[in-house]
Amino acid sequence: MKELFAPNAQPSRPVFATMVGAQLLVLVLLWVFYPLQIFPSLGQVLRALGDLITTQGLLQELWASMTTALQALAIGTVLALGISYLTALPFFRPIAYAATKMRYLTLTGLTFFMALMLSSGHEVKLSVLVFATTVYLVTGMTSVILTATREEMDHARTLGLGEWRSFWEVVVLGKLDLMLEVVRQNFAIIWTMITLVETLYQSEGGIGLLLYKQNRYLHLDGVLAIQLVILATGALQDYVFVLLRRVFFPHSVLTAAAS
Amino acid sequence: MTPYFHKEPVLTLEGVSMSYQGEVVLRDISAQVLNVVRPGMTQGQVVGFYGRSGIGKSVLCRIIAGLTAPATGTVRVGEEQHSVQAGDVGLVQQRYPLFNHRTLADNLLLAAARKHEPEAAKREVAAYLERFRLDQHGRKFPAQLSGGQRQRAAIAQQLLCSDHLILLDEPFSGLDVAMIDEVKKIILEVTTMDELNTVVIVSHDIATTTALSDTLWLMGYERDAAGQLLPGATISKNHQYDLAGMGLAWHPNVEAEPEFNRFVEELKGEIRAA
Repeated sequence: MKELFAPNAQPSRPVFATMVGAQLLVLVLLWVFYPLQIFPSLGQVLRALGDLITTQGLLQELWASMTTALQALAIGTVLALGISYLTALPFFRPIAYAATKMRYLTLTGLTFFMALMLSSGHEVKLSVLVFATTVYLVTGMTSVILTATREEMDHARTLGLGEWRSFWEVVVLGKLDLMLEVVRQNFAIIWTMITLVETLYQSEGGIGLLLYKQNRYLHLDGVLAIQLVILATGALQDYVFVLLRRVFFPHSVLTAAAS
Repeated sequence: MTPYFHKEPVLTLEGVSMSYQGEVVLRDISAQVLNVVRPGMTQGQVVGFYGRSGIGKSVLCRIIAGLTAPATGTVRVGEEQHSVQAGDVGLVQQRYPLFNHRTLADNLLLAAARKHEPEAAKREVAAYLERFRLDQHGRKFPAQLSGGQRQRAAIAQQLLCSDHLILLDEPFSGLDVAMIDEVKKIILEVTTMDELNTVVIVSHDIATTTALSDTLWLMGYERDAAGQLLPGATISKNHQYDLAGMGLAWHPNVEAEPEFNRFVEELKGEIRAA
């Protein structure tokens, strides 16, 4: 028990699992027995969840948002990888630098320009998400590229690999697991933005629009139910990414354990 | 004393200098390593290269390995004595880097593919894995190897693609006695693999380096006629020792010999005086 409060302690797995279970239990008990005035009770949230699933197509809306999010993530990842890898060439470094700074741009005005340029609502929605995802991913990915050391590059060069082949081996292949981690961490950005985007272009629905409607009519139980669904989806996504990393990059788990 | 004679040069440094931001780091280094032939023996040689910490050993190492060009001077390697290029000289860096995303066998295969066709490369890798006692670990990733296995793997990888000349940067740094013995064993093993194999040890461990070497270069600073220290480290002619000629090489337990210890003390005196 003491070790749970000792700095840098490493409690055993069973102890840690018990602790997490107990914390969850306390949270649920607090929710059940001491409901705050403004906070819907667990029962209300569960009822709202059932209602959202059966009458308002929560799962279909979730699927619609999920497919859009995955589409945006795929396009954003390809773009961000391209921009980041191009930093090997000095000519492209200012572009990557500018891309990282675009994180600070607000999307409100941007959507207007995108609407002018693109024909369908779906395209605008997707392009906004792709833009936001790309700028965040480029920031993370260029940081990963900067972790390549001279020692690593020299090692590749001493094996007679040319400059591009050394870059391929050390930066592209050698850091691919870390790139996946960057994608995992930044996937959440899409979910935080999807509400905004789906309310701007309502024709395709989506869980963001559902959330917006629940919020608008002050159905707090429904809001909380949707938030919990998004939270669970995010947690599942994280888990899938960890699994992918273990399957495709088994060395990364070993390296992390060894360091 | 074992009879021996020198043949063609395998490494030549000619007037090598290097500066960084106006500060001279290396000054006019000229030295040559010749192929040593010992009749009836198939054994390469070890060149020890001593320098105090921060003197510019790693810079010289990178220049010899063709990873950086000197400000002036040339480095020539191989039988044809061509200008060095990255990949001509194997360089085993201090932390024994390997590609962490590749298995050990893949790491070696990548190196072997430079000189051999795919099938021949696989055979070479299998032979090296066995020779370096790593045949049980081919499918492991570098993170799963012990320190000693990693050292052997890094050396094997460089040997597979270099032309007989291999540089070891600080191979004894931070190792305990048992590990130092292990590295010594590996170095001797490398020299016995091919009579053309030349191992250059760059180290600040004077006793261990001297014990292993056939030739020793001492890197230090020189003074001008007025006694002023000249900028940039160099290897003067007086500090290039033919240990084989002095009868201090190729003895199994040379470190226990009084003559060897006297010589090491002499070297230490020189280093302190500089």
